[in-house]
Amino acid sequence: MIAKTRKIKDTKGLIRELPSLRYTDAKYLYIGVTNARCDKSEIYINPGDHVKCCQIVGKRFGKFFEQPIHTSCSGTFIGYEEHYHRSGKLVKYMKIENDFKDEYAEYVKERTPEEIAKLTKDDMVEILKNCALVGLGGSSFPTYIKFQTNEKIDTVLINGIECEPYITADHRLMMEFPKRIVTGIKYVMQAFNAKKAYIVIKRKYSDLAEMWNEYLRREENDPLGKNIEIFRTPDFYPQGWEVEMIHAVTGIRLKPGELPTKYGIINFNVSTMVGLYKAIRYNMPVIKRDITITGDGIKYPTNFRVTCGTSVRELIDKCGGYSHPELEKVFILGGPMMGASLPSDDTIITKTVTSVIVLKKTNYKEEQCVRCGSCVLSCPQGLLPVDIMNAVKSVDKEKIKALNPLKCIECGLCTYSCTSKLKVTDYVRRAKLLAKL
Amino acid sequence: MINIVKETAPHIRRHSSVNKMMIDVLIALSPVVIFSIIVYGLSAVKVIGISSFTMILAEFVYVGLRNKMPNDGQKHSFKELFLFAYKDHYSHSNWIAPLVSALIFSMIMPANATWYACFIGSLAGIVLAKLVFGGLGNNIFNPAAVGMLIAKICFSGQYPSAQNNWFIDVSTGPTPLTDASEGIVNALNNTSITNLLIGNIGGTLGETFKVLIIIGAIYLLIKRSADYRVMLSYIGSFTLLILITGLCMKFGRGLNINYFKYVGFQLLTGGLLFGATFMLTDPVTSPITSPGRVMYGIIAGCVTVLIRFFAATPEGVVFAILISNMLAPVIDYYKWSSPKYSVKKLIIMAIIFVLTALVLILAIMFTKEGGAWYVK
Repeated sequence: MIAKTRKIKDTKGLIRELPSLRYTDAKYLYIGVTNARCDKSEIYINPGDHVKCCQIVGKRFGKFFEQPIHTSCSGTFIGYEEHYHRSGKLVKYMKIENDFKDEYAEYVKERTPEEIAKLTKDDMVEILKNCALVGLGGSSFPTYIKFQTNEKIDTVLINGIECEPYITADHRLMMEFPKRIVTGIKYVMQAFNAKKAYIVIKRKYSDLAEMWNEYLRREENDPLGKNIEIFRTPDFYPQGWEVEMIHAVTGIRLKPGELPTKYGIINFNVSTMVGLYKAIRYNMPVIKRDITITGDGIKYPTNFRVTCGTSVRELIDKCGGYSHPELEKVFILGGPMMGASLPSDDTIITKTVTSVIVLKKTNYKEEQCVRCGSCVLSCPQGLLPVDIMNAVKSVDKEKIKALNPLKCIECGLCTYSCTSKLKVTDYVRRAKLLAKL
Repeated sequence: MINIVKETAPHIRRHSSVNKMMIDVLIALSPVVIFSIIVYGLSAVKVIGISSFTMILAEFVYVGLRNKMPNDGQKHSFKELFLFAYKDHYSHSNWIAPLVSALIFSMIMPANATWYACFIGSLAGIVLAKLVFGGLGNNIFNPAAVGMLIAKICFSGQYPSAQNNWFIDVSTGPTPLTDASEGIVNALNNTSITNLLIGNIGGTLGETFKVLIIIGAIYLLIKRSADYRVMLSYIGSFTLLILITGLCMKFGRGLNINYFKYVGFQLLTGGLLFGATFMLTDPVTSPITSPGRVMYGIIAGCVTVLIRFFAATPEGVVFAILISNMLAPVIDYYKWSSPKYSVKKLIIMAIIFVLTALVLILAIMFTKEGGAWYVK
């Protein structure tokens, strides 16, 4: 098939309409000592200590920032255990026994609307830094660094596109917590003095658009709320990539390396907005999030709202376990196009995990490339994946560099659309390493 | 305990495969093939059978030679050697691809071709144009076109055009295009567009049944197994150039031709539609980017018209296809290949087209007898 891939077959319909299950009853919760962006840390407490919910128990050190570690429940710190992390490595986790008393740390307190109205951007940066808020769409980029920009911001874009197939967590979040999202957006608009905010969703979800239009009618007398609008984009993949989203909403095409703030745009994920609302309103870090557990390897796919730190195995049991447990499975954290595959299901829901997808393992037979050009037509960055693949095979460094593989965003469309079932994306990833040499 | 295996992203794939693409070509070809068997009977079966057998066998032998067991000092039975070579390395694509090439090859051969012409042609086509380059996906030239050309060069003595006696009356004699080299006005008067469409004319086995070829082309385009860019740019540039030549002939030289009939005649004669549908669109031998494919189609269209007007062989499609095949790697060269339509590329396309048009206009307007052979 010689065609551009724009739409990816989706199974969202299955659980998109199901209310998400609230699951906060985990007996043990696990807090990662390190994470993808921070590889060093310092822990303040010792095994046996009693901790409160949201208590700061340590600090992680990243390359250019540091973030406090918060607990997500009150209870007793038992010790350290190793589990898999999203990056595919075994990572030390702090095991905390939940006492179900939900005692919050002292610093968690509600701010009155008057107090919030006085907050400036710099105050918010400080709050977000202390609450360790990061991009919850999966990037885990610290939000306070985004807030530190000095450019003039006119437009706030809230990414609710969720362009990867299978994932429905953000959809449920938008269905169930419109008030938190809108309040979060108002805080951002207040901080940047922005004129306009768009909540960007897929065009095909008309139920979501209707619900939001009705909800936003309630904000028409609010000075900030009346400037929030729903924007519906075509349902293409990778529409949720910020360059495509900004292009769809404003018509501005970002060049590689440019930040959206240059054009007066700042963008966040919807779940980050809920986290920001909690941080500013209650001075509270992210301790709960929405996730999707789905895929053809799960018996009853379900959306959950869980406490961060819950073990995935426990949640899969709640889904009725695996379907066809005798078959080989692929276990993915994140979407099926870009998500990371783990060697085991022994992992933990951290605040940046959006979904767990379990698929039956399919072994595709690789054929010789017939140069059909589907990867070239599909590439959203206008690269030549097949040429990059051939250059990597022949280790032609000059050619690899000339083909610009560093522009690749690893959306996975070249492998997805390949007629010969070649793993083109893997070759492009290798080309990226070779081009850096 | 659940059995979990690791793999790299993405974890889902599009529903398509190489074999499906080739089977689509087979399906699109089948009406033409069946019709040629109905019309020409045993002689068509002979050409198709010999070339399919030769090509599939050649690929089979090639797989065996390529995957010979390395010498490990031990003696192996023939069965072991055979299984080593074929068990993992011989797949469905190893017989579907040669079958596609063989069917295309036989469709551009005349019905009265001798068995050795078919054999040598198909063998040379698959070996010299495909297997020596490394098999499927690595060839530069279209195997069917190369095979047909070699057969034509070697055995041109037996190439008077076949007689097509399936309909209404027995039309004997040359194809409309060879007829046209005697003078376009007479040729136009002697042929009707209806006959051209239903294939009631002289020609090779499969290229004359235009209606069925068009049905096949539509099928391929619907299934997206052929790139519409190549097809459209080829036929589009060809038609535009023919329109220009028609204008020159009618108003420049004052020939008494029916303009619409002239364009239809040019489009429906020779192997133009067959080549555009089944040969030029072969993804392996065409460039990989969309502007590259458009340029490739334009080059093929220009060369086809030039060969039709100036060269000794009026059916220039096969030559045009091979010449554009040669240029495909140049179009694809990584220093300028890109999937974006840049102004520079559009200018190059325009230059190619305008130069060809200029050559045609000058030749038709200013040559005396013996120039562009149409103008008589």
